[in-house]
Parts: sequence; structure tokens; C-alpha cells
Amino acid sequence: MSFRSLIQDMRDEFGSISRHGLRASRSHRAVAAPGVGASAAAGLVDALEGTCWAQLPPELLREVLVRVEVDDTLWPSRRDVVACAGVCRAWRGIMKEVVRVPEASGKLTFPISLKQPGPKESTLKCFIRRNRTTQTYYLYIGITEALADDGKFLLAARKCRKPTYTDYLISLDMGDMSKGSSTYIGKLRSNFLGTKFTVYDAHPPYDGAVVSKSRSARMVGLNQVSPRIPAGNYPVSQISFELNVLGSRGPRRMNCVMSSIPASAVEEGGKAPTQTEFPLNNIDSFPSIPFFRSKSAHMDSTAPQIPAQNEEKLVLKNKSPRWHEQLQCWCLNFRGRVTVASVKNFQLVASDETGPAGQEQDKVILQFGKIGKDLFTMDYRYPISAFQAFAICLSSFDTKIACE
Amino acid sequence: MAATTADGSKVVGGGEKSNVDEESKMITLFSSDGERFEVTQEAAAMSQTIHHMMEDGCVDDEGVHLPNVGSSILAMVIEYCNRHVASPDEKEDIRSFDAGFVNVEHHTLFDIIRAANYLDVKELMDLCCQTVADSIKSKSVEEIRELFGIVNDFTPEEEAEIRKENQWAFE
Repeated sequence: MSFRSLIQDMRDEFGSISRHGLRASRSHRAVAAPGVGASAAAGLVDALEGTCWAQLPPELLREVLVRVEVDDTLWPSRRDVVACAGVCRAWRGIMKEVVRVPEASGKLTFPISLKQPGPKESTLKCFIRRNRTTQTYYLYIGITEALADDGKFLLAARKCRKPTYTDYLISLDMGDMSKGSSTYIGKLRSNFLGTKFTVYDAHPPYDGAVVSKSRSARMVGLNQVSPRIPAGNYPVSQISFELNVLGSRGPRRMNCVMSSIPASAVEEGGKAPTQTEFPLNNIDSFPSIPFFRSKSAHMDSTAPQIPAQNEEKLVLKNKSPRWHEQLQCWCLNFRGRVTVASVKNFQLVASDETGPAGQEQDKVILQFGKIGKDLFTMDYRYPISAFQAFAICLSSFDTKIACE
Repeated sequence: MAATTADGSKVVGGGEKSNVDEESKMITLFSSDGERFEVTQEAAAMSQTIHHMMEDGCVDDEGVHLPNVGSSILAMVIEYCNRHVASPDEKEDIRSFDAGFVNVEHHTLFDIIRAANYLDVKELMDLCCQTVADSIKSKSVEEIRELFGIVNDFTPEEEAEIRKENQWAFE
């Protein structure tokens, strides 16, 4: 089609011009003074017998992209938002500004959403499929009201058993689970006995995060961390399992110290650290990437709270089930999201250390439970991320405590 | 009064108005290339830009000059406004008119958006922006670039990151 070849010719010409920024400045002038600049731009456009949509003023492009984002709230159609953010810099800038973080919107959009705290006002309902043969676990977010459906794939984890520990490597790509891959997100490591676990983030959860060398966990002071360290191991949670007073006849006790989240995050007006971008692989660009850009999300742009070394970290504990005399079993109210009894099932709440003994907070931050053979639901909310939630659930699969 | 556009396929004017007896004040609009269009004030007022000019008494006997809108596009905008003020209550008819109206070449849609923005015709802006948004759906990054004639201006590192993002999103 001649029109198509005309566009191709124009594109080649415009391409070389746009890289020099001449076009951008001209259309910007057009926005500022519609009477003057626009006629020049319009005249030029007419002369070329067509248009280059790259000339669309930013506010008009925004009108279009906002509509795409509003229309495509659910997966799989939400992929349109990601596609738009990959078209060019102008589109990406606008789309990244339009999309709000999961904490505010309750929606997952970009891969980085998996590293950001869940919604404050609702839970994100996900499910996990286990493949026993390949020792792999797949996390999906539900796309309908059903407990499990086709879902939208989020993360995959592969179990790697070693002589003295076990690793679960977590990746964005179910086809590439290797640690060296750019899709590697982090891992869960268990001790030999399967009683204690550490969740490691491949990327720093915040500026000045402590770094752990591969063998020994060397705690480096905040001012000693070199920002040039590439994807590594940043411990973000420690999980431990214990028997309760009834021994293996009762539900086990879980304790999760979320070292990257301050205890104040769950208080009124509290904030949890939020990553805004994955660091690019280029090591030279690493230190210059700001982790907390104020323009992301329609949220308070002041610096989020970063737990200092001595600040209290958030601790999550599992809610104590009640003994049901008639049914002769331990019961938790899973609100229909868990249908098969299993010692692996749990609900985590923020532990209120300062309150009266035995008092628990009401909000269930993470709920995990069996709904079928090799099928489990996982519901999470603020202040933990999908990645952290997934890792904690994996520990429940692995631990040998109170398993008969 | 009607004006025909270059390709002759779109006819503008009061031909479809049902109540010709009604006293309707007219206003003259001039496109950037000097063509003259007679429009009812009611239809013209759909453009907030023109509406404010009329209210502020900035319209003289000659009419309104619109240096930013070419004749072919202005004709289309006027057709839209005439149709919408003629029978605003006939929702089904309006809907099918709108669907036919935006069934144009992609670059024409671009021109209409620019004109609707300059003239501040909100309904037309909404219609066109929604149409463009709909044309983006279910397309890959490459297909969107092709459709809009947009150049990929990412660095190789950014491109790798975007490829990873899209691979995950389309998994």
C-alpha cells in the first residue's frame, strides 16, 4: 500500500530528527502557544501528507493512554498497559505515571509490582500450582472469582536441594530458572533441618541495604555498603517454625521477621519501602538509579520510611487456630478460600509485641491453604509484596515441623 | 449552506436538520486555508473555544478565523457538531453515526483529535481518544509502533528490560 510505504519513508526521516529532539521541542512549543506554534507544526504535517503520531502533544497522548489503563484492569487484557509502556520513551513516561502502585490501585501491572507492597484496602487473590516431578512451584493471580482458574502467571520457584541446605530459586520466567538470568528475582534458603528460612532479594530492597555474601551472612553497616554491588543476596525476611506446646499434635508456630519492613508500616499512616524499578543490568548505571522516584504512584512523595539498624522490624506470626470440639480439629476462618485441611495452611498477622499478651491484630496479611492436589491459594496484602508472600508460602511447603 | 471537502465524500451543513423553520442564528467559520463555513451558533457552541469567544463578544460580523484547522478536518468537525445538536436524544442513531464517523484513516483520526483539542469539543475528544485507545488493545509493542509510526528510542539496556517485561506480561 502506498500509504504504508509513505509512512515508512516518513518514519525513517522522523526517526533521525526525533533523536535530536527537534521534533519534541517544536511540538512542545505548539502546546504552549496554540495560535503560533501549532500552525507551523500543522503546516509541516500537511506538507508531508500524513502524520507521525510522535507529534501528538503529551496531554493528548495521556488522554489515550489513561483510557487504555482504565479499560484493561484485569489480566490478561492488562498486558496492553505493559505493551504501551514499551513503545517509546514518551509513552513509557506517561504510562508509568498513570499506573499506580498495587498499594493504591489493588492491581498488578509491571513485573516490579511483584516487589511492591500489596493493597491496603483489599487482598490480592492468587494461587500456587505445585509440580512434584520437576520440584517447581508456579504462582498465579486469579482472573475470575474462582479459587483457581487459568490465572495470570506471576512467579516460578524451583527447589534445589543441597547437602546442608535447600534453595528455592524464584524467577519471573518459568522457562529460565537459573540464578544468573536477568529474570532471577530472589530465593528462599532453608537450613538443614528445615526449621529456619531466609528470604533473599536479588536486588536491594532500599538504599543502604545490608548485603550478604554467598557463604556467610556478613552484616555490613549502612555506611559501608557499596552501591556498585550488582544483583546479589539481600536478606529481607527470616522465617522460623516451631512446635507449639502440644508438640506435633498441634499446629506449628510460624515467626517471620520482615527485616526490610518497619513495624510502623502497619500503624496508622505507616509506609513500607517500595521499589520503583528493577536496576538495569549495566553495573555503571546502578548507583545512579533512584529507588524512590517521587512521581511514581499517586502517593505521598516524601521519602518512605527505611528501617534503620535499630528500628523495630515488622514481625508476622501465624494466627492461632481454635480447637473445634465437635469437629475434633483445629480451625481458622479462611473465608472460603481454603477447602482442604492441611498442616501447611496458615494465616499471618502482624504481631503486636507491645499489646497485652496474646492479643493479635485482626488484619490477615498473608493467608495460604490447600484447595486441591498440588493446588493452593495465596492471599496477600500490604505491607508485603507478592515476592515475599510467595517465598513465605514456599517455606510452609518445605518445613518438616509437625508434619506426620 | 454546505461546503464540500476535497474528496467530495463528506457534505457539511444543515441538510439533515429537521426543524428548518426555527430561527437559528448562524456564525461563519474560516479554516486555515481560507474556506468559509456557515454553522448554526448552537452547533458552533459545542466548541468551547468558539463558545467562549461568542460569550465574550469576540466574534465580529466577519466570523471566526481558525488558523489551526484545515478545511477538510473542519468540515468533519462541523458535521459531527451538527449531527449531535440535531437529535441529541436518539442514542442509537448517534452511536451508529459516531462509529461511522471514526471509521477513517488513522492519520485522519490524528488530525481530528488535534482539531477537537484546539476547538475544545469534549465529546469529540472523548470519542476519538477512545477510538485510538481501542486500536491499541491486543497489540504487541511492535504492532503499536507500526500502527503509529513511532520510532523505538530506548537504549539497548532499556530495550532488554522492556523485552523482559513484555515476555512476562504476555506469558
